[in-house]
Amino acid sequence: MSAASSPMLLVGVGTAGSRIAHGVSRAFGGDLRLLAVDTDAASGQDEENFLLIGGNRLSGRGAGGDVVAARLAAEDSISALDGKLEGVRLAVVVTALGGGTGGGATIEILKRLTDLGIHSIVFATTPFAFEGEDRMRSARGVMSMVEEAASAAFFLPLDKLVGGEDNMEAAMKRAVDTIAGGVTLFWRLVEKPGYIRLDADRIRRLVANAGRGRFAFVTVQGPDRASEAVDRLVRSEMLAIASAPVNAILCGVLAGEDLRLSELGRVADGIREAFGEQIPFEIGTVNDEATFCGRLSVVVMLFESAAAVETPQQGQAGSRRRGAAKSPLGPGQGSARRFHKTEPTIWHGEDLDLPTYLRRNINLDL
Amino acid sequence: MSKIHAALEIGTSRTVLAVGETQAGGRMKILSHAEIPSSGVRKSQIIDISQATQSIRSVLREIEAKQDSTGGNVEIHNALLVVSGQHIHVANAEGNAVVAGGRVGDAEIMEAARRSREMPIPKGRELLDIVDQDYQIDSLVGITSPKGMSGRMLRLNTLQIHASSDRIQDARTAAEGARLEISEPVFAATCTADAVLEEHERRNGVLVLDLGGGSTGYAAYCDGYLAAAGVVGVGGDHVTNDIAYAFQTTNAQAERLKTDEASAVIGQYTTDNARVRLTGSSALMESRAISRRALDTVVNARLKELFTVIRETLEEADLIHRLHAGVVIAGGGAGMRDLESLAELELGLGVRRGRPLQVDGLEDVSDPWAFATISGALLYSQRASGTDKSFLGDIIGRFFK
Repeated sequence: MSAASSPMLLVGVGTAGSRIAHGVSRAFGGDLRLLAVDTDAASGQDEENFLLIGGNRLSGRGAGGDVVAARLAAEDSISALDGKLEGVRLAVVVTALGGGTGGGATIEILKRLTDLGIHSIVFATTPFAFEGEDRMRSARGVMSMVEEAASAAFFLPLDKLVGGEDNMEAAMKRAVDTIAGGVTLFWRLVEKPGYIRLDADRIRRLVANAGRGRFAFVTVQGPDRASEAVDRLVRSEMLAIASAPVNAILCGVLAGEDLRLSELGRVADGIREAFGEQIPFEIGTVNDEATFCGRLSVVVMLFESAAAVETPQQGQAGSRRRGAAKSPLGPGQGSARRFHKTEPTIWHGEDLDLPTYLRRNINLDL
Repeated sequence: MSKIHAALEIGTSRTVLAVGETQAGGRMKILSHAEIPSSGVRKSQIIDISQATQSIRSVLREIEAKQDSTGGNVEIHNALLVVSGQHIHVANAEGNAVVAGGRVGDAEIMEAARRSREMPIPKGRELLDIVDQDYQIDSLVGITSPKGMSGRMLRLNTLQIHASSDRIQDARTAAEGARLEISEPVFAATCTADAVLEEHERRNGVLVLDLGGGSTGYAAYCDGYLAAAGVVGVGGDHVTNDIAYAFQTTNAQAERLKTDEASAVIGQYTTDNARVRLTGSSALMESRAISRRALDTVVNARLKELFTVIRETLEEADLIHRLHAGVVIAGGGAGMRDLESLAELELGLGVRRGRPLQVDGLEDVSDPWAFATISGALLYSQRASGTDKSFLGDIIGRFFK
């Protein structure tokens, strides 16, 4: 199957998201279906795989960090997206929250995908601490909306991905490379399955309404590589960022032709032991000697929503709604003076810490 | 069984400490209680440990002073911690057991219970409670007593209630600074339910709302068991903040307007042009007056939204139509004027204020619903000490003067 007709599409949103998407594409020698979406015309590397949004509104100069402007830009141009989605059944969206286009356009794109019946898996970075509280707050405000709009969402805090010894530019570059590496592993798992197949249909069924998840990956080599991979994953901070208990596990093991059954068993047993032996567990392999020669990569996705499990129960915590209401102010806009240093209360994308009468535009007639 | 019990609540608006005793016949009596306005707490979470410690020291001193004046004789070393806030999560869990021989016996019931207790909770979380719900045998659901029934697989459905370990540790640290040790954290909303509910209400379906300063806890019971619970990060403090924001007042003025003047229902006690005069330290401040209708509008909008969040949450869980016994509202925020009327309107259910039913010693209190949670915590402690004789026995000492 050619990349152009693949049912899987990789979408990079905003400048950072597009960089990550192009990084994944390079790892595949350009042989995957890719779309970069941005408000900044300068980030378009090739016309065929690039969609400029908000052209009339922003003149291709970017959203300047304005989430609302980027969201409106995406609304303006959303019909242009449809032409790029022919035959797509699963979209993997990479984006960076905290900025304008990533924070604003991602939600509109995800909603469009849902409207068209396309499942979406989102890998979204949240800002470094050094980027400031405003960006962090903006990202936090958008996270719940992304979670609502996507089939499955993985939030990746940049501070936990990249060590503190790099300078700012190097940290950014390393973060982009790291995430691209992780998404590439996931992509290989679906597109180049080995003896244990984890195909797109199986993944689609698993991620439909899966909600928020946790994502981590490692690459190791050496005689005890399976145990080392499990040890590093179990101690990974990326898998410790929990908002709810784990309800389903997806595990991918990628190696060359030297992958031993005992290694596969060690990885599966170790992950299940660490995160719950009773929890539904899916495993897939990639056997690609040319890429992994001597190395072992393990990708773990922990799904937190109960909807990831096939038999939902009554009174299930974490049931999710579609079609989040739009906030007149938008999340993270303005501040409620008493609560501005606390974790915000977000409900259907609205920041409930802000005075209700303001958000509802109620005239008080003082 | 230990007869003396203590519970501490570090709330957004107030810090409360209560000491109770199991009387002859098993009923709980509150021997002493103290409350002071909290410092260093926002949205039910400690943001300044030294200030929170100071608040705990103050309630301990107040309890001691009260005992000095009444000849009391209890010294508190240790207390249960009442926990609230939106860091609390409630998740479904289960325990399964293969039914050997095709008929459910005690062994399978115990195995299902044991396995449900082994379900992991996420890292960084501390378990507050595991609440048993109902049983399922194969595809047959909603079983309350499975013993003797036939089938292949028994499942016990439970709710795991867990909270951020860091937030609980902050409270422990604050308490330790005041030389008070925390024995166990407990969930505020279920404590409130323990204190205010009648057994028949749990069977018929009832919602308990614990309207605190920084957050609102809820616990919905159907068929006698806890069907859903959680916390919404909105409380009475949000009402105060909205008033302060709308009318440019201090928080103290806004708090007074909320408790003394405002109504949850617009136009209930007022004409369109009625004004409310502010109180303040300066003549300029005292000369200001605000529209009573506008004040009610601000309060109404906030509370209406809170009830909408609760209603939609229960609708999603398919529970609201099962709450035949209505709603019981308690907590420090439950005293707001016309709150019951608004709740009835927005939730479409009968509403009453919840006063602690199972405890004595609060007869002199004018707002008993504000002591429902702490009373429930004492009842929890009493129950726990009955099941585990070592519980609290070594940590609360009684000294006769």
